[in-house]
Amino acid sequence: MNRRTTLAAVTTALVTLTLAACAPSSGSPEPGAAAREGCDGEAVGLDVWSWRTEDVKTYEQIFDVFEEANPCTTVTFQAHLNTEYDQILRTGLTGSDGPDIAQVRSYGLLQPLVEGGNLEPLEDLVPALGDFDDALLDGARGREDGAVYGVPLASQTIQVYYNTAIFEEHGLEEPETWDDFIALNDTLLETDVTPLAVGARDGWFVPTVHDALTAAQYGGADFQQALRDGETDFTDPAYVDSVQTLKDLQKYMPEDVTGVAYTDAQVLFTSEQAAMFAGGSYEQAFFQEANPDLDLGVFQVPPPPGSALDHPVTAGYADGSWGLSATTEHPEEAETLLNWLATPEFGQLVADELKQFSPIPGVEFSDPLQQEMWDLYQENPAPYLLLVDYRYGDPVGTDLMGEAGQKLFLGDTSAEGAAQIIQDGLSAWWTPGE
Amino acid sequence: MTRRRTAALPTPVALLFLLPAATLFAVFVLYPMATALTYSLFSWRGTAQDAFVGLDNFVTLLTTEPYRSQLPRAFAHNALLFAGAMVVQNSVGLLLAYALHKRERLRRLFQVLYTMPYLVSPLVVGYLWSLLLSPLFGPVNAVLRAVGLESVAQPWLGDPDTALWVVVLVTAWQWVGFPLLVYGAALGSLDPTMEEAAMLDGATSRQRFWHVTLPMLLPVIGTVSVLTFIFSMEAFPIPYALGGSNGSPAGATDVMSLLFYRTAFGSGASNAIGVSSAVAIVLFVVIVGVSVLFTRWFRRVERRLT
Repeated sequence: MNRRTTLAAVTTALVTLTLAACAPSSGSPEPGAAAREGCDGEAVGLDVWSWRTEDVKTYEQIFDVFEEANPCTTVTFQAHLNTEYDQILRTGLTGSDGPDIAQVRSYGLLQPLVEGGNLEPLEDLVPALGDFDDALLDGARGREDGAVYGVPLASQTIQVYYNTAIFEEHGLEEPETWDDFIALNDTLLETDVTPLAVGARDGWFVPTVHDALTAAQYGGADFQQALRDGETDFTDPAYVDSVQTLKDLQKYMPEDVTGVAYTDAQVLFTSEQAAMFAGGSYEQAFFQEANPDLDLGVFQVPPPPGSALDHPVTAGYADGSWGLSATTEHPEEAETLLNWLATPEFGQLVADELKQFSPIPGVEFSDPLQQEMWDLYQENPAPYLLLVDYRYGDPVGTDLMGEAGQKLFLGDTSAEGAAQIIQDGLSAWWTPGE
Repeated sequence: MTRRRTAALPTPVALLFLLPAATLFAVFVLYPMATALTYSLFSWRGTAQDAFVGLDNFVTLLTTEPYRSQLPRAFAHNALLFAGAMVVQNSVGLLLAYALHKRERLRRLFQVLYTMPYLVSPLVVGYLWSLLLSPLFGPVNAVLRAVGLESVAQPWLGDPDTALWVVVLVTAWQWVGFPLLVYGAALGSLDPTMEEAAMLDGATSRQRFWHVTLPMLLPVIGTVSVLTFIFSMEAFPIPYALGGSNGSPAGATDVMSLLFYRTAFGSGASNAIGVSSAVAIVLFVVIVGVSVLFTRWFRRVERRLT
């Protein structure tokens, strides 16, 4: 053992530290802003950033529509790897070669950019924002000033998918009451299919399943409001009951559910070994691609007796919006583009070409299943509670539910205990009523 | 007294040759390191640096939830990863190296085989093993059931009691080639006459290993141990692939790098950069501190033996 080994040890350790301060730079070339036919003014190039690397071609076609109507503006669409996007965007918006307009995350993950002063408030610049659903605009609000910092791009809904062939084979129908729901699960339990495809090894998936199955039981938007008003917290009996329901439904999930990965649950459902899958609207494209023969239906889970609400709900949340860089060199052109991103024309393109829920009023969905999910949400909307209001500090609500839910499934804690874990964790940065 | 020539090149020329590497090191290692240190001394509002707060971020780490309970838990898991790697990976590596030492023809073949997993990204290794261990579709449990070992079949990654040991074993599976190669090289450089002498004196092969070979390997064992310590403290890709960023199930595989990752990128907390930089600094100080202490202690042990 010599001095060189020590030095090597120290050097290697130093490298760890570089992780912390690693600032990825992104050399985005100035877009070719050559004047096109029909432009008699000065040609301007706008940079638009996104994390949807899989949608680059489609977005380029969508922006062609805008460029045709605005011949002096050239839009350059750049996508960065989803997992690295937040870092690249933070650096881009604070540096000199960042985007003019960028896709930004929702709720809590939007806040670093708002607090850093990297984005412009938009209510005065984009009048159409006034027509959006207020709950979905929450996803683009700054927590401190309440101003809107993004034009909502997409939203997601959470419901239960079912395999219609399996339902037909066993003479089952969409449940109208809680008893129906339990009865159909019991029927399926006697067959060789798993009733509910759930994978609880991935903590983030647990709160999704919880809200898909029990949002109406704890009260959905009413409970959200009661928490905001400081009238209750997560140890509320209604919330504890909903966690108990999750535990009660465990017998319909795969065995050793905490060892089952989210992707395993997807495979279980698409390979028709499971009858139902509680998940987000974002699953639809994957399900249909993985098994084109899969015949899908969706339903809302009816609330059990004694629930806070007497009708089922669909949980939903805003998933990304378009923000305006505070340091853009072309504020006027960027404003024009942002306003176009709030038009039904753009929303319809997002719905048709990208198969996403554009929350722009007036957009229709050509896929009947997609339209059904959207209609169910419109009729009885609820917030995806832990994501919508409880990702503004550390630890985030969805992580807490992930860990508490895993302990619940493992039998290491009770429903009260799980609710207490969530409440205790959140109290590090959240006080009911604030 | 004559001054011994220690360098092959005159000093100015040597410095000239060292300059490019030193510059790169300064720009890509020292500078970011200094930045992380300064980051940890400020409070942040999102991406904007706010006020100088001294050691407040470190106080936060030690006194407020969730860090107060997660930091020691993550450290304990890193320590278990290190202990596991020492017991499983390094001792198996040493035994394999010793077994292959005198078998010229097989040695190359097996050295190549055991180091193969090196070539695969640890993230890929992690995901492969998570597929193999899936309780629904994984072949590991299927094989166990097929041969009548149903009671042994487990939700390996779903049980907090087994999950961390799976991380230890998967890490060992990938890295066992490292001690194998280092110990193999060390064994090859030992003076064979020592062992021959012991053999002539009537020492059994076990005695020869424990009392002749092993003491001579001590310096290398020290080096391998320190490097294993550093790798274990920095573990990220395999725990991430096997347990996600929260160290599933129920935090059983949470380690320091995951805590750093969550604090820095996973939360909507305003001061995420400040606190996460403090996590990085704490990790750095522990790695350097323990490595230096361990090296010193080992050198003393060595001196006593020789």
